Amino acid sequence: MKKAQAVNPIALDSADMVIVGNGIAGLTAAVEARRLAPEKSVVIMTSQSHPTINTPALKQFAIGKVTREQLLAYPAGTERTQRIHVVHAHVEEIRAQEKYLRLASGQCFGYGQLLLATGSHPTGLPHDLPGQDFDGVMTLHRLHDYLDLRRRLNEVEEAVVVGGGSHAIETVMGLLYWGITVHWLIRSETLLPRTLDRTASEMVLEGVRRAGAKIMTGTEVAGIVGRVGAVAGVVTTRQQLIPCQLVLVCTGTAPVMSLADQCDLPIKHQQGIQVDDFLRTSVRDIYAAGDVAALRDPLTGKYGPRAQWYAAVSQARTAAAVMTGNGEPEAFGVPWHATRLGDISMVSVGDPLAKSGQSAPLTSQRKGSYRRISLVDDRLVGYLSLGPAQPDSLAIKRIIDEGHSVREITRDLLRGEFDAHKYFSGKRNYVVKRMLTTGQPPTPLPPLSGRLPGESQALPRISPQTDALPQIVEGTSEQARQPVTGQIVRPVHAGSRSTSTPHPPNHQAAKEQRQQIAEQRTLIGEDPKFGPKVPFWEEDAPQGHGSERQFISPLKHSQDETDALANPHPSRSLWHYSSKLPAVKGKNHVQK
Amino acid sequence: MFKSNSGKNAVRLHKSGPEIAQELHACIGCNECLLACPALGEPVTIDVLNRETLGGPISRPVAQFARACYQCGACVAPCPVGLHRDAMMMWLKVRLLRAGWGALQQ
Repeated sequence: MKKAQAVNPIALDSADMVIVGNGIAGLTAAVEARRLAPEKSVVIMTSQSHPTINTPALKQFAIGKVTREQLLAYPAGTERTQRIHVVHAHVEEIRAQEKYLRLASGQCFGYGQLLLATGSHPTGLPHDLPGQDFDGVMTLHRLHDYLDLRRRLNEVEEAVVVGGGSHAIETVMGLLYWGITVHWLIRSETLLPRTLDRTASEMVLEGVRRAGAKIMTGTEVAGIVGRVGAVAGVVTTRQQLIPCQLVLVCTGTAPVMSLADQCDLPIKHQQGIQVDDFLRTSVRDIYAAGDVAALRDPLTGKYGPRAQWYAAVSQARTAAAVMTGNGEPEAFGVPWHATRLGDISMVSVGDPLAKSGQSAPLTSQRKGSYRRISLVDDRLVGYLSLGPAQPDSLAIKRIIDEGHSVREITRDLLRGEFDAHKYFSGKRNYVVKRMLTTGQPPTPLPPLSGRLPGESQALPRISPQTDALPQIVEGTSEQARQPVTGQIVRPVHAGSRSTSTPHPPNHQAAKEQRQQIAEQRTLIGEDPKFGPKVPFWEEDAPQGHGSERQFISPLKHSQDETDALANPHPSRSLWHYSSKLPAVKGKNHVQK
Repeated sequence: MFKSNSGKNAVRLHKSGPEIAQELHACIGCNECLLACPALGEPVTIDVLNRETLGGPISRPVAQFARACYQCGACVAPCPVGLHRDAMMMWLKVRLLRAGWGALQQ
């Protein structure tokens, strides 16, 4: 620090939160941090010359479906309205002991907390491959690469795509869209060997082949032939020469770990910077999120990066919550990847190729779709779906993460007829479940503010809203209304439960049944769809009022419906439930 | 979206609030849903649409789009990530309703 001050005393600046990288992880974390901690200074350090963009949409940009302006991930000017200071600089080094960054310009920048969101870089071809530096040998990773590609398209008639991942498929399809002859070289015999089995891989390959690509599996690039500095062809390991004007290398990405190397304290990293569920690295006050972070897979226990959009967003949000001290870390759960492979939609959740002793994969192939399910006992551990339509894959992720039994829905899952709404409305609500198991009230999210900086003091801070918790009303008496506190709450149904109700002889089963019903009642009282503890949109609702009533009233029917689903024979249930004698009335206090 | 429940005129949203938030965060912004939309009049960009569905004030073009949306579901099939834009639009309608139609940002 002394050294820096000697160079330029004014240059030493600092911020509470410094985020390196303005990819989606970086900006999401910054916006989230601003929302959670309006008083903290947030700075993004980036060497990227454009604002944060939707990188997965770049393939749509490549085929002209999306303009450059439409690529923006957040509305233009978000950084300014959210008071996020963006510094255009390249960070060279982290001094974790004195907590400052050394920039390429020689200046220094202090941090209170540091988030590394440096993303990933394309692996590319081996550096010793002959001809890999000819003009026309490209990787497609950043916006500049795609701009470059679009400029070149007019001069290209034949192209070679190298690699066997989803990015390669997208690239192949994009080039075919422009009427370019595409030769696709895949090193292994199958695609995405860690996600797809042979049948699924064949299906995808067949689709791409039908679209017009020339596919060569088990083939690698041996060298690239050029003429006067530009690509003229590719020599394969099968001694073929493929003439082409463009070589697109899609051999995967690797986390950018130069900063982890350039830190005076050791940041644990192998394949990505290793982080825990709070996104903390091995060095204090340094966090990592996005493509650069390696999380532990709850199923396999191995650390690995999850280079996907949704993973980056959710990690960034958690990192911001932890860094601002509002940390209620959500478990990230199993990997989830949904994308389009050519004209087929693919979803993989968990580990569809899990090959442990007890797991028995089930497969189903019909009408151009393929599904593979990996089970351990009655738990789902992996799900793979290929086909023209996407299943509700986030719901399937939730099933794996929450460890529900899938015995009753295995057939539906296999046939792709799984109705997530129906399933979950029968299940306990996620929030309620957590409330019941942890005994903690749910933490509502404050609204994402679109306010002006001057109005920031009006931002609500996070605090447990005890008055918004589900309330239990016994009969109609006001006194019996009590907020849920730290215990498991079971509704009391004095009005409807006759004391002479005979208990079934099996007490254990009866207890379970009672608890089940109790939870369902709580769920209904909670109203999972528009419960009183509405998280982020609450602010917009006028307080107390006609419009809200108007909206809620039709939903009451849906509560009845939920009830009917959960309890098809109300008369036979332990507690008789009717509209005349409401057991639980969560909405009562709202209406008054 | 609107499911009739044996003549009871029930309205059922097939995604809960947290699920909508989750889907909005999973949106990769590829624009396929908006390209497929038959109801989209004036251009609305996906970044603005997502932000305003999630929270904060709702701008006029987005409000008009939300009103024009008639829940045909044409946006669901093209989504490469398998998200439900129709459910998100329904949320936007809900937010508009709750805010009152007049309380919009000009």
